[in-house]
Amino acid sequence: MSNPATPMNANAPSSSSGGAGSPDSAPRRNSKRPKYSRFTQQELPACKPILTPKWVISAFMLVTIVFIPIGLASLFASRDVVEIIDRYDNACLQGSKSEKVQFIQSNANKTCVRSLTVRKRMKQPIYVYYQLDSFYQNHRRYVKSRSDSQLRNRGDENQTSDCKPENDANGMAIVPCGLVAWSLFNDTYSFSTGSNQQLPVNKRHISWKSDREDKFGSDVFPKNFQNGSLIGGGRLNESLPLSEQEDLIVWMRTAALPTFRKLYGKIEVDIEAGETINVRLENNYNTYSFSGKKKLVLSTTSWLGGKNNFIGIAYLAVGGLCLLLATTFTLIYLVKPRHLGDPTYLSWNRNPGGH
Amino acid sequence: MSLDDAQIVNVNPQQQSPDTLQNSSSHDGIQSKSWRASSVQEVGFVDFGSKSVPQGAESEGFSMSMSHREINNEDSRLVYVNDALKTNERFEFAGNSIRTAKYSVLSFLPRNLFEQFHRVAYIYFLIIAILNQLPQLAVFGRGASILPLSIVLLVTAVKDAYEDWRRHRSDRIENNRMSFVLVNDRFQQKKWKDIQVGEIIRFSANDTIPCDIVLLSTSDPTGVAYIQTINLDGESNLKTRYAKLETLSRVPEKDRMNGLIKCEKPNRNIYGFHATMEIDGKHLSLGPSNIVLRGCVLKNTNSAVGVAVYAGNETKAMLNSSGAPSKRSRLETRMNREIILLSVFLIALCTVVSVCAGVWLGRHRDDLDMLPFYRKMDYSEPVAENYNYSGFGMEILFTFLMSVIVFQIMIPISLYISMELVRVGQAYFMIRDDKMYDETSNSRFQCRALNINEDLGQIKYVFSDKTGTLTENKMEFKYASILGVDYSGEGTDFDGEQRGYCIQVNGQVWRPKMMVKVDKVLLRLSQTGNNMKANEQIYDFFLALAACNTIVPIVVDTSDPSEKLVDYQGESPDEQALVYAAAAYGFMLMERTSGHIVIDIQGERQRFNVLGMHEFDSDRKRMSVILGCPDGTVKVIVKGADSSMFKIIDKSRNLDVVRATESHLHSYSSIGLRTLVVGMRELGVPEFEQWQSSYETASTAVMGRVALLRKVAINLENNLNIVGASAIEDRLQMGVPEAIESLRKADIKVWVLTGDKQETAISIGYSSKLLTSNMSQVVINSNSKESCRKSLEDALITSRKFVVSGDPHAGGSGALIIDGTSLVYILDSELEEQLFQLANNCAVVLCCRVAPLQKAGIVALIKNRTDDMTLAIGDGANDVSMIQMADVGIGISGQEGRQAVMASDFAMGQFRFLVPLLLVHGHWNYQRMGYMILYNFYRNAVFVLVLFWYVLFTGFTLTTAVTEWSSVLYSVLYTSVPTIVVAILDKDLSRRSLLTYPQLYGAGQRQESYNAKLFWLTIADTLWQSIVVFFVPLFVYWKSDIDGSSLGDLWTLAVVFLVNVHLAMDVIRWSWISHASIWGSIIATCICVIIIDIIPMLPGYWAIFDLASKGSFWICLLGIQIAAIVPRFGIKMFIQHCKPSDIQIAREAEKFGNSMESRGAEIEMNPPRR
Repeated sequence: MSNPATPMNANAPSSSSGGAGSPDSAPRRNSKRPKYSRFTQQELPACKPILTPKWVISAFMLVTIVFIPIGLASLFASRDVVEIIDRYDNACLQGSKSEKVQFIQSNANKTCVRSLTVRKRMKQPIYVYYQLDSFYQNHRRYVKSRSDSQLRNRGDENQTSDCKPENDANGMAIVPCGLVAWSLFNDTYSFSTGSNQQLPVNKRHISWKSDREDKFGSDVFPKNFQNGSLIGGGRLNESLPLSEQEDLIVWMRTAALPTFRKLYGKIEVDIEAGETINVRLENNYNTYSFSGKKKLVLSTTSWLGGKNNFIGIAYLAVGGLCLLLATTFTLIYLVKPRHLGDPTYLSWNRNPGGH
Repeated sequence: MSLDDAQIVNVNPQQQSPDTLQNSSSHDGIQSKSWRASSVQEVGFVDFGSKSVPQGAESEGFSMSMSHREINNEDSRLVYVNDALKTNERFEFAGNSIRTAKYSVLSFLPRNLFEQFHRVAYIYFLIIAILNQLPQLAVFGRGASILPLSIVLLVTAVKDAYEDWRRHRSDRIENNRMSFVLVNDRFQQKKWKDIQVGEIIRFSANDTIPCDIVLLSTSDPTGVAYIQTINLDGESNLKTRYAKLETLSRVPEKDRMNGLIKCEKPNRNIYGFHATMEIDGKHLSLGPSNIVLRGCVLKNTNSAVGVAVYAGNETKAMLNSSGAPSKRSRLETRMNREIILLSVFLIALCTVVSVCAGVWLGRHRDDLDMLPFYRKMDYSEPVAENYNYSGFGMEILFTFLMSVIVFQIMIPISLYISMELVRVGQAYFMIRDDKMYDETSNSRFQCRALNINEDLGQIKYVFSDKTGTLTENKMEFKYASILGVDYSGEGTDFDGEQRGYCIQVNGQVWRPKMMVKVDKVLLRLSQTGNNMKANEQIYDFFLALAACNTIVPIVVDTSDPSEKLVDYQGESPDEQALVYAAAAYGFMLMERTSGHIVIDIQGERQRFNVLGMHEFDSDRKRMSVILGCPDGTVKVIVKGADSSMFKIIDKSRNLDVVRATESHLHSYSSIGLRTLVVGMRELGVPEFEQWQSSYETASTAVMGRVALLRKVAINLENNLNIVGASAIEDRLQMGVPEAIESLRKADIKVWVLTGDKQETAISIGYSSKLLTSNMSQVVINSNSKESCRKSLEDALITSRKFVVSGDPHAGGSGALIIDGTSLVYILDSELEEQLFQLANNCAVVLCCRVAPLQKAGIVALIKNRTDDMTLAIGDGANDVSMIQMADVGIGISGQEGRQAVMASDFAMGQFRFLVPLLLVHGHWNYQRMGYMILYNFYRNAVFVLVLFWYVLFTGFTLTTAVTEWSSVLYSVLYTSVPTIVVAILDKDLSRRSLLTYPQLYGAGQRQESYNAKLFWLTIADTLWQSIVVFFVPLFVYWKSDIDGSSLGDLWTLAVVFLVNVHLAMDVIRWSWISHASIWGSIIATCICVIIIDIIPMLPGYWAIFDLASKGSFWICLLGIQIAAIVPRFGIKMFIQHCKPSDIQIAREAEKFGNSMESRGAEIEMNPPRR
């Protein structure tokens, strides 16, 4: 700071020799200048695809080219599948609803015979399904009413809290507990040809391998099952572990939709066209109380699964639409071409009068 | 010091009680209250002219005089000097330990949770989670329902904890710093946190002050201490503080000091302090110049001693550390409207579900007891009872609530969190942009408000201050007019003939730090002594320049030991320029104390006594100093704005000089220079004595001191002889004309609001290209409401011609120039509407001579009448009101302190950064945010709709095929990262295109990225896509043996793939980060689905593997993607081709640039259209 004690220096030369460069040219020590990197400057190398007419048309054409063959293939696959569906709930049991319910809950003999005609040759394996309509296996209360730990571990037998109202009978835990197991489907089918030759149904390995091995314990045996006052469906052989109760395992994979099929077994012989199949079935399962339908389905498979035209039609539709779009865009580009990136199209160049 | 950390300090409740008592107190209490009120106002709108007032300096000699108005005891704090015990006896004043940290280890959890739940979003989450815990409503399991909330809470808590840990650390460092404190008559080192109010503290040079202290003595014999307040307000120049004469001579170690300071309660006003000190029976008044605030640094003073008056969290610095203002962006406001719509959708979906559920229950009423899949009755007991059934009505209600839980993400709560993250990311890039780094002030761009980034893309009006914003606020002395002779430097040789005047002191060469170009003629005249009349005037002129100011000369060492530099420190850049100019002409200010100044005049050192000083104030618009000259005469030198000076100049004596000066002033200001007029007269003895006594009375008065002093000043400042006028150039900042041109092209209206004269404003307008020669100017200068009305009406008619004449681009547009006086009559009256219309018709508006509040008024005029976004940019305290009023406030961190920055939402170094900020970052931010919001609506709604469709096939029971973990993770993990990454990184256009075509900014102004139409289109698209996603698998697997989990996995994957593909289709720039995030999310989703499906305890065990082994799954997945995307893709391509947006064209031009360059150049060559 200025120091008043400094003796005055009378003759300060007013030389004009000074005027050297400006002071404070020392480099700034801690410059806050952001460090340059392509990231911070948002200049990372990047690809900026622009869909030119060529690309647009090619994209649509590509979809067309991929989709139409897939669609056709799916349709053909679906056409090759032979499917026999027989609704038997009303055919086996006539009368009013309450009569039917009463009958089905009684101990009477419920055997019923159906005969089916094969219109087209069915190659083995022929899958036997039962189909239930309006059976809400995806109903929240139903889906939740099970205990997966109990099914898997013998020690977790008493973990039945999720299973209400089918958690215990007479104070003992039910294995398997819950509404899902309780309502086990119990109609049975046996098949014979018109020439009275038995068609054996293979019921082994109708469930997922993973379920048999990991999900259902090989040391868990059914207990107290269907011992309550209300019988919901099939019974289980108490001497077989759950992992071998394949009907139960299949049933416990709850269906996604209210109309569903479940695998009953496989017939491992071919059936020729024109043959008749006699089905002898035990019509035990009560769908009458909620007006559900029961159907027996015999079906071959293709690479796509069962008979379903939807995929084929949908693929053809999308493919066709894309073909249409490809043509439309070709026409648009021909009729009304636009030079890409032409600045004369910019709004402020188009109408110089301003907005 | 962590001043940045938002902290509102709670005053100790014990100390508040007197405050409440004071309500019933006497007139004194009321007066001191009103003082406070005015002080509050001061903080808000300190006029930049009213420099800090060293009241103590002048009053020193007279402070023995009595007649003090006591500060009311109830309303004050009593500090016993050097007696901390007694001081803290009655009221425990806050200790000096500061605490900016919010939490302690114990209080962290409850307090942090409490703070987090202040957000509506979190409360919504919480309510949903709580609802889910009710047994009847348990849709998700415990873990799954709490997970999203806990993740969000955890992330935020970790962030808060980290920030708080840093605050703790800085607090600890701060609290453990050492200072010398007088203990038992010896100065001992003491930690800052142990310092108490009332203790005496000693500082050496470069010490930081630990608390607010009243200066008692300094090493300077006159009691001056220089401090730097850079930590407090960012001003780097030195300020002077004074110790009282009475305490100056005391040596604290030897003679025990006993005194009583009565000061006001702690408050936030850093520019005000009001206290009295009682020492040895004498009453002294203390003002802002006697107090040194915490955080200041002692400079150029060997030592200083002071007494602590406010400590710790009660210091002014701590009370002032408040956070950035909180604003809500326009986009977010719009978005909230759409969110309400989405809630309506949500309620509609829930209503549909519950009504259907009611119908279903009614239909099956008779079967419910035993239905295998419903089982209303529990038969396991001897007596059958209701199982889990609460009656028809309750079931419907529960269904409704459950559907709210299932569909909760329809309201995209995660969007709020994403937006915060995105804004942080955007702010990071804005701060890191090296195009917005200012070299001269070494400052980066600052984002102070974090939630209005996207508003930067929609600005329609820019209100700019002039001085310091458009200009550098680095004043340079240009021309002088002395005694009617214009020395405007025709003879000046600009080729480095810069005059380095220097003097010899103790064999050392002292020279001014800044060189000034000089006029040779004037230089020669100034060196030839003061015998001739003209020369006498020149002598007076430069004496006035050197003396009539508040500049403090500081001697700085250079690398050469024989050379020292004199740095003139002061608060006004104008004054600095004038003192440097005087020094260049041989009138070098060497020393300033409160009582005298030393000026080296042509090598001869002369001492002038400063007998008094009347500070600049915005009413008088001038300042004066009363000098006792070495020859015994007393002179009053006045310097001020021409309008105020010509009123008090005695025109009878030198009429021709006055006339000539006036004409010079006119020509100076018409080339954009800032002018000042200097006047002077000698004081006779009686007049001097009369002045002196009234000055003493006024400056010792406690109440109304400022007003009294002003009155004294007005009485003194009259009948002056004109000495001359100076012209200072305030150079335009770099790149301002180009910036304004760009903004104009971007269809942003730039209004300049300045306190300067009309001529100066107009000339700056021309040099900054705001005004062009082919504009017709409409000038409104009126003195009454009637004339205002009339000129407005006339102007409106004229201005309509600009509009009617059609092409506003052709250049024939108008410029409105209006002054503050007229605005007084127009604002807040019915004339506002006319002004608004007039301004709308004009391309440019220039407001000159406006007061700070008027600036805010003008912003409000636009804000209230249009929907357009406004931005205010300024650098000074006078811009604070405008910055706060505008939608977006920008502070220039420049010469005039930091108030503007403190009040702003964004701060930057230069005006020209506005162009990259708005045109580039604003545009990007807006595009990104707009897209992200729409995408988030879509992303959540499409998932909710898929869930909803499924509910229709489950007996309306809210079963979700999608596993609960997947539905919870969907918005948290499966789809969240890409949208955030894209919203931070995607760029629709490169910086170069955006700067080349500023018109592209119009996309934001026209709200092209987010509007109702886009919203509805998005919703329609969402509906279609959800239908495809849901119904394709439904039809494929209808009547098949597929299980719920498999189908659920298919839906999960389909929807996650779809939303990511959808995003991928809209991404414009594919950097590796976008690739990684989008494809990474898809992979992460697959991994999660797989993990969920390999837990044997879950019903869906192995479902995904079983599913993937079938061809139909893959065909389904592919079909869904294509079928869902095709409509959007087709429409997008159609619009791109047939109705391309500007952005689209520019993007094409960017990509296929070569052929376009020439065309682009051609367009560029056309005359500017706006």
